[in-house]
Amino acid sequence: MHTIIEPFRIKSIEPIYFNTALERKSVLEKAFYNPFLIHSNDVIIDLLTDSGTSAMSSNQWAGIMNGDESYAGSPSFFRFKETVQGITGMPFIIPTHQGRAAERILFEMIGGPGKFFISNTLFDTTRANIEFSGATGIDLICEEGKHPSIPAPFKGNMDVKALTQTIKEKGAENIPLIILTITNNSGGGQPVSMQNIQAVHKVCKQFQIPLFLDACRFAENAWFIKMREEGYADKTIPEIVHELFSYADGCTMSAKKDAFANIGGFLAMHSESLALQCRNLLIITEGFPTYGGLAGRDLEAISIGLKEVMEENYLQYRVRSIEYLTEKLVAAGVPVMRPGGGHAVYLDAKEFLPHIPIDQYPGQALTCALYEEGGIRSVEIGSLMFGKYDSGGKLIPATLELVRLAIPRRVYTQSHIDYVAEVVIDVFKKRNQIHGLEILEEAPALRHFTVKLKPITV
Amino acid sequence: MEKRKRSWAEPYKMKMVELLKMTTLAQRKKALQEAGYNTFLIHSDDVYIDLLTDSGTSAMSDRQWAGMMLGDEAYAGSRNFFHLEKVVQEVYGYSYLVPTHQGRGAENILSRILIRKGDIIPGNMYFTTTRLHQELAGGKFEDIIIDEAHDPENEFPFKGNVDLSKLEKLINKYGAARIPYVSIATSVNMAGGQPISMANLKELRAFTKKHKIRIIHDMTRVAENAFFIQQKEKGYDKKSIREIVREINSYTDGATMSAKKDALVNIGGFLAVNDWDIFEEARNMVVVYEGLHTYGGLAGRDMEAMAIGIEESVSKDHIKARVGQVLYLGNKMLNYGIPIVKPIGGHGVFVNAKKFLPHIPQENFPAQALAAELYLDAGVRTMERGIVSAGRKPNGENYFPKLELVRFTIPRRVYTQAHMDVIAESAAIVYDRRKKIKGLKMVYEPKYLRFFQAKFEKLQ
Repeated sequence: MHTIIEPFRIKSIEPIYFNTALERKSVLEKAFYNPFLIHSNDVIIDLLTDSGTSAMSSNQWAGIMNGDESYAGSPSFFRFKETVQGITGMPFIIPTHQGRAAERILFEMIGGPGKFFISNTLFDTTRANIEFSGATGIDLICEEGKHPSIPAPFKGNMDVKALTQTIKEKGAENIPLIILTITNNSGGGQPVSMQNIQAVHKVCKQFQIPLFLDACRFAENAWFIKMREEGYADKTIPEIVHELFSYADGCTMSAKKDAFANIGGFLAMHSESLALQCRNLLIITEGFPTYGGLAGRDLEAISIGLKEVMEENYLQYRVRSIEYLTEKLVAAGVPVMRPGGGHAVYLDAKEFLPHIPIDQYPGQALTCALYEEGGIRSVEIGSLMFGKYDSGGKLIPATLELVRLAIPRRVYTQSHIDYVAEVVIDVFKKRNQIHGLEILEEAPALRHFTVKLKPITV
Repeated sequence: MEKRKRSWAEPYKMKMVELLKMTTLAQRKKALQEAGYNTFLIHSDDVYIDLLTDSGTSAMSDRQWAGMMLGDEAYAGSRNFFHLEKVVQEVYGYSYLVPTHQGRGAENILSRILIRKGDIIPGNMYFTTTRLHQELAGGKFEDIIIDEAHDPENEFPFKGNVDLSKLEKLINKYGAARIPYVSIATSVNMAGGQPISMANLKELRAFTKKHKIRIIHDMTRVAENAFFIQQKEKGYDKKSIREIVREINSYTDGATMSAKKDALVNIGGFLAVNDWDIFEEARNMVVVYEGLHTYGGLAGRDMEAMAIGIEESVSKDHIKARVGQVLYLGNKMLNYGIPIVKPIGGHGVFVNAKKFLPHIPQENFPAQALAAELYLDAGVRTMERGIVSAGRKPNGENYFPKLELVRFTIPRRVYTQAHMDVIAESAAIVYDRRKKIKGLKMVYEPKYLRFFQAKFEKLQ
C-alpha cells in the first residue's frame, strides 16, 4: 500500500518561532509549570488541544467572507440550521459561542442538587458544568477502557451492566440524562461502537431517560465504526453518522473539533419544550437565537466544515496520522494508550514516570519535560485535571494519569510529527531525571487551567 | 461673495460590498405576519435597510480584515490576546482584561462576582440585558438618571447625567454597604443615545468615593459619548477623543464592554477592572461560562480585529463621520415634522411613538406597532424600545416606561447618505398615514427579555 497523503495542500501558512532549551526553562518557570499559562509565541509545536486550532479550508474562508452579520434572522443561520438538522436528524438547533455554553445551558436547565448524570466519561468542562449546577457526574467506562496498554477496538464503550445497576440504585427519576461522549476524549479519544450506543439507547428507553451525545468528534467515531465494527465496512460515513444520531434524543457539540471551526458550538434536540427553555437561557448569556453569540461568518464556517469532515479521504488521513505517531512511540518502548485514538496520542504517565507518586502529578511533570526538551505543548489528563480532595484534604486520584498530545486538524506535517516522536523518545530516555510537582495556588473549579505549581527537588 | 457650502464626506471608501435584496409590499406583508409583528423575527433576507441594531453590524476596515488573517488560534496564550490587552490598557486605561464572547458575557460574570442577594444597583437608566443580569444575581436596579432623560422633548445636552440627590436618597434608605457599585453607561441607550457630561461624572466620582462605592462603566459607546463632550462641554473642544475617553474611564473602577458597538467588530466583548481581586475571581469564572481567560470564547482573529477596531474608534475623523451621519438622518426627520427624541443621540434616531401614535394606548404597544408599519412601507427594519423591551418586574407586573420609542439604529460605516434619505422619506410617508395605524396584542410572551421573541397580532 502507498503512503496515505494529505487530501489537501497548503494555502496559507503561519510562521513558527523557535527558542532554545535554556529560554524554555525560564518560560516554564514564569508560567508556574502550567502549559496553559505559556504564551503561544514560546511554543514550537502546539499539541495542547485540537479544539479551535484547525486550519480552515479555502471554502470555509470563503464562507467567512459571506457571513451575514444581521442581528436577527441572518441567512447564515438558516444555512447552519439546515446543515445541522441534516446531520443529526434533530429539528431544534440552538447555536452557542462554543461547546461549554451549550452544556451549561443544558445542565442549568435540567441539573441541580440530587441529580445524577451518567456517562462513559465526562470531559472536564462537562463535568464542571454538571457540578456547578449542584448535580453529580458518574463515569461508567467499560473494563477495556481502564487499561491503557491493552488494545481493544472500542475502548470508549459504556459498561451497560453497570449502567442498569446504577440507574436502579439512584432511581431513574433522579437521572435527567445519560451522556455518551463520542469519541471518548478523557479516556484516550477511544471510539464507542454502534452496538454499545444501541444497547445504551435500549436501557434509556426502558427507564425513560433521554440519551444525549457529546458529539464533538462524531465523524472520527464514525470512521472507527466503519473500520472496526462488523457490518459497517460498506456503509458511507453520512449513513453511519445518521444512524449514530438516530439513537439520541439530543446532542451538545463543540464545533471547534470536527467542524474545523475556530469558534462555535450548538445544542440540537428533538424536544420542542426543552428547546424553548434552552432558548430562554441562551438569550441571557449567549445571544439572540439566530446567532447565539457567534458572528454570522462563523455559522457559515461551521456548516461548511461539518460537510468537509465526513469526507472519507480526510478521515483516513486523520486517523492514520495519529496511528503513525502511536506506532513510532510504541516501537521505542514509550508507554502509550493503545490503539491510537481519533484526535490525539495519550502517553501513560504512570508507567512513563513510575518514580513520581500520583500526588506529585506525574502527568503534569511529563508535560513540562516535553516542553523543555522540544517546545512541545501538551496537556495533562489525570489527577491535576480530575483529582479531588477528600474531607481530610488528601488527593483522590483520577482513574488514569495521561498526557494528551492532541493533533490539530490539517495543521502539522509529517516532519512535525517526526520531530514530536523524537522529542518524546529523548525525554523517555532520561525519564529518571524528571521531578514531581507541588501545587502553590489553585481555583475551586477547573483548576488545571490556572493552577500554579513548582518542582519538588530533594 | 456668498459663502459656499462645503460638504464633508466619509473618511473611507468601500472595499467590499454586500448585495441587498429588494422586496415587494406583498412579500413584506407576508414576512411581517410570519414574524408575529416582531421585527426581531423577520429574516434578514427580507430586509432592505437594517436599522435593528448597531451591535455587531459594523463594516470592518481592511486593516481589521488583515488582522483577521493574523488570528493566532492557540487555546492558551494567543498573541492576539496580548495585543488586545495592551490596547485596552493604552486606549481605555483599565489594568486587567478578561475577554468574553460578547458584552452580556461580561455582564453575567461581573454581576455574579459583585452582587449579593438584596443589593441595590443604581444606574443612569436601565438596559435590558444589564438589568436582567443584576436581577438574576439577586440585585435590584434603581434609576438615578436626571428627570430630563425621561422627557423626549427636553433639549438638555447631557441627558445621560446622574441626579446625585436620587443616589443620596438610596444611600440614606439602604446604606452604602448594600450598594456594590453604581452602574454608569456612556451614551445612554434607552434614553436615546444621550451622553453623560464629564462634570457630572467627576461629581459622581467624588460623591461615591466618600461612600466607598465603586463605579462600573458600561462603555460600549464611550467614544460616541466622548465626541459629545468634545463638541458641547466647556474646556474639552481642544482635547482629543482619545484623551477624553481615557479621562472618562479614569473616574470609574471597571467596565463591561460589548465591542460590537464602538469597537467596530462583529463579535466580542470584555470585562476590564483595576482591582486585582475582582480580576482573579473573574478569570476563574470566565473559564466556566466563556472559555480560558486568554480567549474568553473568542477566536484569536476576533481579538485581533477588536484591538484594531478600538484604535480606529477613537480617531477624530471616524467619530465625526459616525455621529454626523446620525445627526443628518435625525435633522431630516425633524424637517418632516416627525417627533423624535431631542437632542439627537450618537448611535441612532429615536422616534417618540407616544406622540407619533397618540391614539394607541401604551398597553397596545404603540412603538411595536410603529416598527411593524415602518418595515411594511419600505423594508426598513427598526426596533421597539418601550413597554415590550421594559418587560416585567420580578413580581410579574409590567414596567410602564415613560419613554415609548422606536429606535433607528445606524450600523457603523455600512450605509450611505442615499440610504439615509430613503429612511427619512419612508418615515415621513408613514407619518402622513399615522391615524390609520392600529395597536397590537401580545399572543406569545417569553420569560426573559421578551422583546426578542414575543409575537403579536393586529387589533381590529
